[in-house]
Amino acid sequence: MSASRSLRLSGHALLLIASAPILLFLLLPSLIIVPMALSKSQMIQFPPEWISLHSFVDYLGDPQWVDSTLLSFQVTIVAVLIGAVAGGTAAIALHGRSFAGKGLLVGLIMMPIVIPVVIMALGDYLLFAQLRLLGSWVPIAVAHGVLATPYVFISAQAGLTSELNPALVRSARSLGARPTSVLYHVYWPAIRPGLLAGSMLGFAVSFDEVVLALFLQGANAVTLPVRTFSAIQYELTPKIAASASLFIALALVALGLQALAARKTGRLS
Amino acid sequence: MNSAVQPGTLSASSRKAGREVEVRGLWKSYGEGEYVVRDVNFALRPGEFLTLLGPSGSGKTTTLMMVAGFENPTRGEILVDGHDIALRPPEQRNFGVVFQGYALFPQKNVLENVEFGLRMRGVPPADRRRRALDMLDRVGLADFTTRKPRELSGGQQQRVALARALVFEPDALLLDEPLGALDRKLRESLQNEIKELQKRFGISILFVTHDQDEAMMMSDRIAVMAEGRIVQIGPPSDVYLHPATPFVAGFLGETNLVPGTYQGMDDGYAVVDFKDAARGRVRLPADGRSLTAGEAVVVSVRPERIRLLTDHAETTFAGLVADCTFMGRHTRYRIQALGQALTVSVTEWSPTSALCAGAPVWLGWQAEDAQILSGPEGALPMPQEIVR
Amino acid sequence: MMAAIKGLRRARYGNHDGQARHFAWLIVPLAILYGVFALLPLGMILRFSVANGFENFRNVLDSPLLLRVATNTLVISLATTAIALALAIPVAAALWRSGPKLRSLIMAFVLLPFWTAVLIKNFAWAVLLQDNGVVNGLLQAAGVGPVTLLHNRLAVLIGMVHFVLPYAVFPIYTAMREIDRRLENAARSMGAGTAEVIWHVILPLIVPGIAAAALLVFIVSTGFFITPVILGSPSDMMVSNLVDYYVHELINFNNAAALAVLVALLLAPVVVLQQRVGKRGQYGVG
Repeated sequence: MSASRSLRLSGHALLLIASAPILLFLLLPSLIIVPMALSKSQMIQFPPEWISLHSFVDYLGDPQWVDSTLLSFQVTIVAVLIGAVAGGTAAIALHGRSFAGKGLLVGLIMMPIVIPVVIMALGDYLLFAQLRLLGSWVPIAVAHGVLATPYVFISAQAGLTSELNPALVRSARSLGARPTSVLYHVYWPAIRPGLLAGSMLGFAVSFDEVVLALFLQGANAVTLPVRTFSAIQYELTPKIAASASLFIALALVALGLQALAARKTGRLS
Repeated sequence: MNSAVQPGTLSASSRKAGREVEVRGLWKSYGEGEYVVRDVNFALRPGEFLTLLGPSGSGKTTTLMMVAGFENPTRGEILVDGHDIALRPPEQRNFGVVFQGYALFPQKNVLENVEFGLRMRGVPPADRRRRALDMLDRVGLADFTTRKPRELSGGQQQRVALARALVFEPDALLLDEPLGALDRKLRESLQNEIKELQKRFGISILFVTHDQDEAMMMSDRIAVMAEGRIVQIGPPSDVYLHPATPFVAGFLGETNLVPGTYQGMDDGYAVVDFKDAARGRVRLPADGRSLTAGEAVVVSVRPERIRLLTDHAETTFAGLVADCTFMGRHTRYRIQALGQALTVSVTEWSPTSALCAGAPVWLGWQAEDAQILSGPEGALPMPQEIVR
Repeated sequence: MMAAIKGLRRARYGNHDGQARHFAWLIVPLAILYGVFALLPLGMILRFSVANGFENFRNVLDSPLLLRVATNTLVISLATTAIALALAIPVAAALWRSGPKLRSLIMAFVLLPFWTAVLIKNFAWAVLLQDNGVVNGLLQAAGVGPVTLLHNRLAVLIGMVHFVLPYAVFPIYTAMREIDRRLENAARSMGAGTAEVIWHVILPLIVPGIAAAALLVFIVSTGFFITPVILGSPSDMMVSNLVDYYVHELINFNNAAALAVLVALLLAPVVVLQQRVGKRGQYGVG
């Protein structure tokens, strides 16, 4: 018995040894960004010459980059709101029902993240050109809203399925609650965690998004990812690393919040 | 605003002066001619504890759901003090409902849960807080107001569910198998609590269960349901001791079903010939139908109502003990008599308790304890209430 | 008369649990959003693509670029899928077999890149793989001459595998999690060694998960845009870049639309397949 146990233990160790380089591979890029941003030199290099905040100063001192940053936040917040409303209401509408074609409807809701984003980008470009709305940040926000909706929907739906006891709705009604009260007292508390988690994911997706923002950009509507993308193609400067650090920071915050939420509900991802 | 409700306070004078809930000609179908509830009629009198008892699929839960408003009847009326509420949505009815699992709002604390019904009726915050606290005090949960449901024991959750349903003075309480998933010890104590509360508040209760012990213990009347119909309705003793059909006889406890031939009347009882040339006196069928001499009948006698005698007495038959099993509270005998195996249950110790396999005995019963049964379900035109 | 009115009212409430019907209208916000900003754009693409009959389709199909780009896309996507699966399986297994603390740690390694923007990851790889970058530094220290690691197929593959790896890990890990431990114990009690347990017990049960992962990764790979641009050369152009080329360089919207339609048509069956396979043993949808 102990022979096979030790075999199993070494099997586990083997797995860890095999995985370690892969995990390092996964983590490596994220690790080098911030040190790069703190580099003294004017060129991007790794390992960097420590240590200076000049890249951040450059970044914050450049009005175009600052504008893009603010624009990105603006676009993303609106996009998340759109996605939360659309995804959340859809999750409630479909909760607990089964009907012919439900699978199809859900598939349709998921469509924006299944379809290659460049196709959505082309279509949005053609549409907004037709509507003569190109050049403002609004089309980007709306397009991102559509992109965020499936994430919110999935998360909200999963949350409702686990949190909402169907007898609760009947309970509330038997006590005199009319539909609005049922939504407020029963559905809203149940959907909140899932809605939040999905919104966080939607936030990350929208803030990081390049292709839609690229196709829909305007003179005053250049999001941070688009500006970063253009910059990367021309010349790698530390300013880029500074902006990239912002993205890393966001990722870390999201990761931390997710870990916190998982601890609360006892689930992982 | 719910026009059917006047917020007020429960006072001693309002006890048992509630509203009568009547169900008339209720039918329910989900599709092509498939009826799950057929022609159900009953009246829930003020202060009464009425149980719908039946196996799963008997339509008892569907009936309750129609009274509560979560299902719409295909046909029929649901009357509260004569007003038909069959088409009103649940939120406009004035019933307190307790579901299996209690369905307490998990993110609200105990006080908020109990206040909920009052809040939905527009009772101002100070008032509803006072009434909720008062109700919680009366059910013994005054110290638990800020707890969340998940912090409560099963019994405490039930009390919150009941308090929540009672606080707005409903016309009746509807309970849908609330004790279904619990273990026996807890069930029994919670059954007592429900009964207690009912007596104290004088509220009418419509209770659904498949557990006949539960029904017998708690109810003023039991309506036995099968295949969507009420087969028999009456006080527990009636339904148990004088079952109308083989189904009722078999569903509530055990019984012996003995075929025989009706011969005639004798002093108010029917005379029936059994196999082995035995003859006995039994009660007439509960639905009052008349019998003709020579007609085949089935007689139901409960195992505990058959007495083992060491000598010949009134209405006795000869039998042979096949086996005996000591069950603790009673001893079970299987006895070959009247051409079949009869089950007899004996609780007290007597010379006959020493009998076992192979021993010859005499069995007997009181005429009052044996019942001719009516035909199987479907042959019954109308459910009959036994008038005593 | 009363009966007729009652019947009518009954019909309005419906013959089932009225509650579910109340909230059906909540689908309206999404319906409007999608109707205008998801379906309409697709409709526009369709309209632009057939604006000149089938001429635009012929243009696209005749273009020598298309063959190149389509081949690139296919080759790169397949290679990415294969490599990602190979790397994902040990990681998923490590997650599966580890205790809670170790698992959280490993999961963090997988999740951080998942939450990091693809743009940033590519940027980092560009820095790492440049001629005077870290990787070359290490290689030179090991005595190997400076190797061109950037702006070529290798870099693209590295970048893409790096991106899709978490997407590959999750379905496989989920499939592994659903394996009943008792099956393994039963096999061992009958004398199976580790290799046999893997071959006879574990592998068959995770095949659906691996298939789901493969399809997902493939679909994601075909849609790549940024990585080929930042890490690749013009000869690594993928189909998304071609659409961009038609729009921003050639300024030919009709051809762009025709290309988009072709891509969608080709991808659709793969997506349908992925949805079917993914349903067996995947959380979420439906």
